[in-house]
Amino acid sequence: MLDNSGDENAAVPERGHAATGGTAGRNASRETHLLAIDTRQFWAVFFTKLSMNLRSEVSRTYLGYLWWLLEPVLYVTALYVVFGIFLHTRTENFIVFLVCGQVTFSWFSRSVGNCTRSLLQEKGLINQVAIQKLFFPLLVVCQDLVKQGVVFLAMFGFLIFMGVQPAAAWWSLPVLILVQWLFILGIGMVCAGIVPLVPDLKFLINTLLMVTMWASGIFYSYKDVLLREHQELFLMNPMANLIKNYRQVILDGALPDWGALAAIALFSMALIVVMLWVFRRLDTTYARLALQ
Amino acid sequence: MTHPDGKLLELEHVGFTYSTGIGFYGGRRIEALRDISFSVHEGETLGLIGRNGCGKSTLLRVITGIFRADRGRVIRHCDRISLLALNVGFDANLSGSDNLVISCMFLGASRREAQRMHDEIVEFAELEDYIDQPLKTYSSGMRARLGFSVGLKMNADLLLVDEILGVGDAAFRSKAREAMMQRINSEQAVILVSHNHPTMVDLCQRVIWLENGEIRDQGEPERVVEAYLAHLEQVRGVGRPLQGGPR
Repeated sequence: MLDNSGDENAAVPERGHAATGGTAGRNASRETHLLAIDTRQFWAVFFTKLSMNLRSEVSRTYLGYLWWLLEPVLYVTALYVVFGIFLHTRTENFIVFLVCGQVTFSWFSRSVGNCTRSLLQEKGLINQVAIQKLFFPLLVVCQDLVKQGVVFLAMFGFLIFMGVQPAAAWWSLPVLILVQWLFILGIGMVCAGIVPLVPDLKFLINTLLMVTMWASGIFYSYKDVLLREHQELFLMNPMANLIKNYRQVILDGALPDWGALAAIALFSMALIVVMLWVFRRLDTTYARLALQ
Repeated sequence: MTHPDGKLLELEHVGFTYSTGIGFYGGRRIEALRDISFSVHEGETLGLIGRNGCGKSTLLRVITGIFRADRGRVIRHCDRISLLALNVGFDANLSGSDNLVISCMFLGASRREAQRMHDEIVEFAELEDYIDQPLKTYSSGMRARLGFSVGLKMNADLLLVDEILGVGDAAFRSKAREAMMQRINSEQAVILVSHNHPTMVDLCQRVIWLENGEIRDQGEPERVVEAYLAHLEQVRGVGRPLQGGPR
């Protein structure tokens, strides 16, 4: 690991030299950034691969698309049985309360988990084609967004079936979903980029996802359970905050906390920008890491 | 786009090092390439020979930009350099047809180009009856045929071919060989890696012999291949590989 980062640093002056000295500037500048796949091709391959992956995923199991719905249903059922019936910690309208929390959280946790594996899984391709590594986490996150769209539609159908009245404030849901998507992309890129460098973190990420689940108030209402002075700290967790806002819109028909959403969006975009830089900087390192 | 001297690619003192293994237990640092300099001209077919692990595949990856050289310069005077690898981006759950398209696109074709070449590729691969079936139902030979046929049709200014001439059954192999020969004998610039030495002598205008990441010899194919074979003979006689070799 240390060896390798040393390598990359050692390479810098060489490249600098290469870019300035030599034959013609035109040729030298092509040296480091010539990739088989340019930006236009990148997006063309991206969208083709995206639609193919969505189809391929369906053919892999008997129930296909149905699993995208069944998974949250199973989770919610389990949580309902444990917390609603056995522990009897239910709030009013507990099923609807659970659905809002679980559906949004499992989107986050599934996507981040998939991102974590995304670069490692595509070792073969990374070794055959010079492609920007952003491709892999972005593909995962977009693929999951489509699936989650289906889940959200089913969720809203279910909520209305359960007697929740759509309120005027529901127009803000797409904004909430977009902010959550940005957050997932940011965290997903960090996990995707860091795990090939330090494979040990794979275990840590799984644990962190689990901890985040407990700390996000999926099956309890933070207002009832937490001391007032801890509530602000609780809401510093972006997932807890997002889930709170989903419930605020869906259950209470109130508008979300725009300030909090803006903060999460800004934080996510900062992560994305940093990771774009990291991916650019370490682009060829990932192929090299596949050798180690 | 082309260089005045007709050069497509120049390597100057290229070096590449990696370490095996990670973590505190460390790994051995391996100098996979050391001080490699050569150039490739338009329409030229250049052969790379050397024993397993001498750095041939690493060198091809440095040329395509999959790896970045630690030392030295790689200067490319052309737009599209493709490493003709088999089964690029294949997904076992997709149909042969989908795999064909996505593979072409990973190798640089647009979706429209890929669809235009589709039938031609399927015909060459002799997979008309299976092309709509998922790839997981293919035998390994069928997969390789599809992969090879995709690679064969790809456009590139400089084509890097890594040991893929021995694909499929005997009948397909001779057809594949012939098609590849045709491609190589045309204006296409190629860097060819193969252990099939008579082929190398037939096809190449120049051969480079790599030994432990260094250029041991280069030039006239017949002479270099002969020297290499003589060297192999000698090494086998000694019973274990020479480390480093004479500088």
